[in-house]
Amino acid sequence: MDAGIEDHLAAGRHARAFDLVVPAYKDRVFRLAYSILKERAAAEDATQETLVRVWKALPGFDGRAQLGTWIYAITRNTCLMELRRRRPMVSFDDPDSTEAQHAAASIASGPAADPERDNLLRLVDALPRNQQEAVRLFYLEDRSYEAVAEQLGMPLGTVKNLLHRARKRLMELARPDEVIAA
Amino acid sequence: MNDPTLIGPCADYEHELVELHDGELPPEHARIVRLHVAQCARCRAWAEQFAALDATLAAELPQPALSPAFDARLRERLSALGVPAARGELRSRIELEHDSLIESLRKVTWRRGLLGAVGSAAATLGVLAAAKGLLARSTDWTSLLGDGPERWVAMGTLGATIAVAALAWSAMRRGVLGLGWPR
Repeated sequence: MDAGIEDHLAAGRHARAFDLVVPAYKDRVFRLAYSILKERAAAEDATQETLVRVWKALPGFDGRAQLGTWIYAITRNTCLMELRRRRPMVSFDDPDSTEAQHAAASIASGPAADPERDNLLRLVDALPRNQQEAVRLFYLEDRSYEAVAEQLGMPLGTVKNLLHRARKRLMELARPDEVIAA
Repeated sequence: MNDPTLIGPCADYEHELVELHDGELPPEHARIVRLHVAQCARCRAWAEQFAALDATLAAELPQPALSPAFDARLRERLSALGVPAARGELRSRIELEHDSLIESLRKVTWRRGLLGAVGSAAATLGVLAAAKGLLARSTDWTSLLGDGPERWVAMGTLGATIAVAALAWSAMRRGVLGLGWPR
């Protein structure tokens, strides 16, 4: 898929290369942005911003990294800048943090319009941020470990571990009364 | 709170049960794990619980999509930006600037070198002419400086003159801060 794009880039036809980049990457960039920002509108804005940056920087792309790796790195930076811009923000990176404990408490007691679905979304929101991103992206990318690893810029083994820990934690939170032990 | 970790002899199967569910295990390895699951109620329960969670996440997590207006909005933004400079253009622009800088440095160096050479030649000729004059006038040139305290005053004046001349020459070659001369 990227071969045509790279041919155009090598020949200096950046506008034509970009015409192929947009349909090839816009949805994946959007899904990655959504997994980080958790809001559709914000993810769409971040996708716009990412593609504008790609457009500006494409003539300087030297091909040392894979095109996708480069685009996803721009996406992640764009999203992180957006997260930094938002104040105040709550981090769930540390599951033992006060914020995470408050979130867990609200999961147990908060009201819900669609209780089962709402509860599940809040459980995912209570995970450490990197686990949340991996879980959202994994299910958005049709359960592809490779796609998640490429988009998050992580080794495959790291992604598998992250998802394993995340889903185990969700099992623990979702079924507090059932015990599976030897 | 429940800890869904498999413990005891089944602990090793936890990752494999996930990989079996995700279809990531090689066929022979998958067959071995399936045989174990068929015989082990704990692992079967764990695998069922995991499969249920996986199905729920796949069904319930939002699957958002870009709005239909996305492409038009992007085109609008890009048309306002214009075409970015190509890498080749950027490089040749930088190379031109670099060449022009090197050329101007060469010119300044050449001019300074020429001035220095002319100055040095003039100073050498002056010293030689003065020495020749002194030798022609007297074999004992120290008598020109007088006697007693008069000699020390003359030598001091000569030394000060040489020092001022050296300072002026150096300033002319390297520039003097505060006077706006080129350095």
